[in-house]
Amino acid sequence: MRRLERFLARLRNSALRRRDDKRLQEEIEEHLALQTADNLRAGFPPSEARRQALLKFGAVEAIREEYWAEGGLAFLETLLQDVRFGWRSLRKSPGFTAVAVLTLALGIGANTAIFSVVNSVLIRNLPVRDPQQLVFLTNPDAQGMEQGFGDGDRDFLTYPEFQELSHNNQVLLGLAASASEGPQLSVEIDGQSGEGTPARISLVSGSYFSVLGVDPILGRAFTSDVDTMRDASPIAVISYSFWHGRFGGDSAVLGRKIRIRDTSYDVIGVTPSQFNGETVGLSPDIWVPLSMQSEVYPGRDYLSLEPKPFHKIEWLQAIGRLKPGVSVAQAKVSINVAFQQILQSQTAPMSGEERRMFLNQHLAVVEGGRGASTLRGDFSKALQILMALVGLILLIACANVANILLARSAARQRELAVRVAMGAGASRLFRQVLTESVLLATIGAAFGLLLAHWADAALLRLVAGGPNPVPLDVHLDSRILAFTLGVAVLSGILFGLAPALRAARIDLSSVLKGTSRSIASSGSQAGRVPVGKTLVVAQVALSLLLLVVAGLFLRSFQNLAAVQIGYDSDHLLLFGVSPLSSGFKGPRAAQLLKDIIERLDAVPGVRSASLMDNGLFGGGDSNSDIFVEGAKPKAVETPASRWDMVGPNFFSTTGIPILYGREIGPQDGGNSQRVGLLNQTAAHYYFGDANPVGSRIRVKTTVGPSDFVVIGVVGDSKHGSVREKPQRRFYIPFFNPIGDASSANVLVRTSGDPATIVSAIRAAVKQMAANLPLIEVQTMNQRVSQSLATDRTITKLSGVFGPLAMILVCIGLYGIMSYAVSGRTSEFGIRIALGAQRGSVLWLILRESLLLMLVGVAIGLPLIFGAGKWISSLLFGVKPADPTALALATALMLATGILACYIPARRAMRVNPIVALRYE
Amino acid sequence: MGHKVDVQQGTLALMILKTLEVLGPLHGYGIARRIEQISGDVLAVNQGTLYPVLLRLEQEGAIASEWGASENNRRARFYRLTRAGQKLLQAETRDWEQTAAIIGRFFRVKAKDFS
Repeated sequence: MRRLERFLARLRNSALRRRDDKRLQEEIEEHLALQTADNLRAGFPPSEARRQALLKFGAVEAIREEYWAEGGLAFLETLLQDVRFGWRSLRKSPGFTAVAVLTLALGIGANTAIFSVVNSVLIRNLPVRDPQQLVFLTNPDAQGMEQGFGDGDRDFLTYPEFQELSHNNQVLLGLAASASEGPQLSVEIDGQSGEGTPARISLVSGSYFSVLGVDPILGRAFTSDVDTMRDASPIAVISYSFWHGRFGGDSAVLGRKIRIRDTSYDVIGVTPSQFNGETVGLSPDIWVPLSMQSEVYPGRDYLSLEPKPFHKIEWLQAIGRLKPGVSVAQAKVSINVAFQQILQSQTAPMSGEERRMFLNQHLAVVEGGRGASTLRGDFSKALQILMALVGLILLIACANVANILLARSAARQRELAVRVAMGAGASRLFRQVLTESVLLATIGAAFGLLLAHWADAALLRLVAGGPNPVPLDVHLDSRILAFTLGVAVLSGILFGLAPALRAARIDLSSVLKGTSRSIASSGSQAGRVPVGKTLVVAQVALSLLLLVVAGLFLRSFQNLAAVQIGYDSDHLLLFGVSPLSSGFKGPRAAQLLKDIIERLDAVPGVRSASLMDNGLFGGGDSNSDIFVEGAKPKAVETPASRWDMVGPNFFSTTGIPILYGREIGPQDGGNSQRVGLLNQTAAHYYFGDANPVGSRIRVKTTVGPSDFVVIGVVGDSKHGSVREKPQRRFYIPFFNPIGDASSANVLVRTSGDPATIVSAIRAAVKQMAANLPLIEVQTMNQRVSQSLATDRTITKLSGVFGPLAMILVCIGLYGIMSYAVSGRTSEFGIRIALGAQRGSVLWLILRESLLLMLVGVAIGLPLIFGAGKWISSLLFGVKPADPTALALATALMLATGILACYIPARRAMRVNPIVALRYE
Repeated sequence: MGHKVDVQQGTLALMILKTLEVLGPLHGYGIARRIEQISGDVLAVNQGTLYPVLLRLEQEGAIASEWGASENNRRARFYRLTRAGQKLLQAETRDWEQTAAIIGRFFRVKAKDFS
């Protein structure tokens, strides 16, 4: 406590630069007067009395120094002094300062920009109360909905499971659930005219806001009683941005009505601005109770207990708040015991094998403070790589600044020497020069922050692969600020260390006498490799690494872009429709879809239209075990195959080639014998080179076994991603389905640009069903492009970083060689005077630079192999040690490097011997 | 001038506190004279070193100071012990006595005491 008080008092004095000089002066004066008076009384003569008093008091100056040192913070004051001095000396050379600040702003800004995204995706906790107490019972990295059943750790919970677990557990203060994937629906606001614009809806349990600890800034949140009454809680909590965007931040929003589909919801609350739901990168606009599920997803019931356990719909993320003192591991054990009991209660209708698999389901129970996000799989690896790349850029930038500083410190030797002569110690000089570097870096960081703000917006658009950026919150928080400051200080120390050490080692006499040749400073230490050149070698190695990485990603992306998806993606438009959600059931739904296809066929500009169940590049796929009549099941591999249900003319619409037989036509609907087609991989797997047409295949699905007869074989195609390997797949008619086919993905092949007839297509569908919304209308090219967004991001960014690194290195090389040349002017003069060919002088310089670069390349190669392994999981069709990328990068590096050295080398060649010799 | 002891800062601070406790508010010269009287020649030189220590004690809150009139009716800074200073002095005194007792015992010990 005493220490703190004293520190504060000293800090105050230092900050105010207040020195109680007057007070001390007065006290000393009085002290001496009293002592003198006493001395007089003791019999000293008047002149001697004052002298004795002074002697007894001691050295006034020293005491005053000591008094100041006690009064203020000497360290802080010197620091401030250094900063002021540094600032003046930076302002004296604006050219140098501008270049250094710009270089550092780029380097630090890039780091801050990437770190902001890393922070929001990978590090930052949700802005909720005590996020470290939260656990996910489900898989926070997954998003969507699963039907049917698989063993192992569960991605999601069913509604009955959630309810059971929230009542029967001993380890949680509360359990909240949220629909993993919120739909985007058009929303109308009572009292506002115009077409409703889409908003993201999130279905959440009544406990959601209280478990997360989010208090509305306006109104109230849901309570647990909203879960008890089905379809009877038409209330909504809206997000801060929705409140501002659609209600203008009006505080009278409470009680206003929002219309979603056919239901009006009362607005009861507004969440704080920083809260964007439990899923990072999703940002719902409106939260409504889970009990309103059938209003948001009409025609389906996700809330009741499914009579057949295999049919259950898993769609909820479950987030719990741990009781105090309960560890995640304890919670996991306890919750899984309860979960097993729930599973046990459902196993009655199962066979032994089914029961064994069914019971082999678990809840992972993981820490949940960071919330859920689908951005953490591949994208997190991409982010780590980007973070490493910008880190290397900053290193290269630091090396450049260090080189400039070294050159400058040679020029400042006289100034430094004078300061040593005036009594400045080595450590004082060291600190001064280092302070100047850190100051430089801090100024660079300030500009870098501005740059990062702008770069992040661009980055998020790039990641989204479309015009709307990913809704990630990358606002400046204390962690980003601390990171930037840390990076600035660290880089300041990094590039300031060499010049500072040199300043501390200054050789006073030779500098002041003028015998030290300022330029020889690096060469004069015989046998030692000069710092500047070491830096250049390191720079070459690092930038070669960056160039090769850029090359690898470029080649990988070229491969991805060149992948044949098995059909023509140009002029192909896709969208989803869900007749069931609009009230069409059973045969009426099928009839509506048939009518829509027929109507679309008649739209001018449409060549043909068809439909399918799962869609292309839309995320969904079906997978079932099949048994082929006449083919032996292969022992090792599973009999599983992917499949889809497709409408008439599907293959001619998409352009998937028919290799044998015929495609599915209008005649294959209804209750006739179900037909089907195999893709090439499946046909070859089961039948080898034999013609499979006419064979019978049995499919085992959750609705029981079904048969189809093979009528043809089609080419392989990519259904979900460009990266997917050829998979066994079969197709059966949409209108003779296995299970139900109540929603569909419609495909439209157009003769011109699909974008131009979107409105005609919308109008055509509206004619058939006025209230049927079109879901995610996109061209096939858009979908493919979006599926490559992460790859494109990292390719584009590394494509910028690689050359940027190269340019920085060239600037560095140019600087160091110019410097070397200017220092050896007299040497070249003598050489030329003695008859050296100008060409050989040129070669002398170029050879030296080439040597430096080759050393850099030699050091860089092992680094490249290490880095290649690290990034290989994101590469497609290219080996980490790709000789093309390696050779091209090396050639590029050497060529530009030589170019950068050519200018100083030419200057050396043109040295006029007479001028050069007179100069010395 | 005799044997000169290098007075440690901590010791000096303790002396100041004790002086102020015994004599009440005093100006710097008064404190210096009192210490000189008691310690003999020890503080005969460098009386000025008192002032940085006074400043430190004041910043720590152990003493407080205000302007007042000296014996010759001029402005002088008077220092007085605060409550915190009182406590500090008690604690320091206890520490000092303990240390002194231990050290004293060590010096009294003779070789035969160990046998």
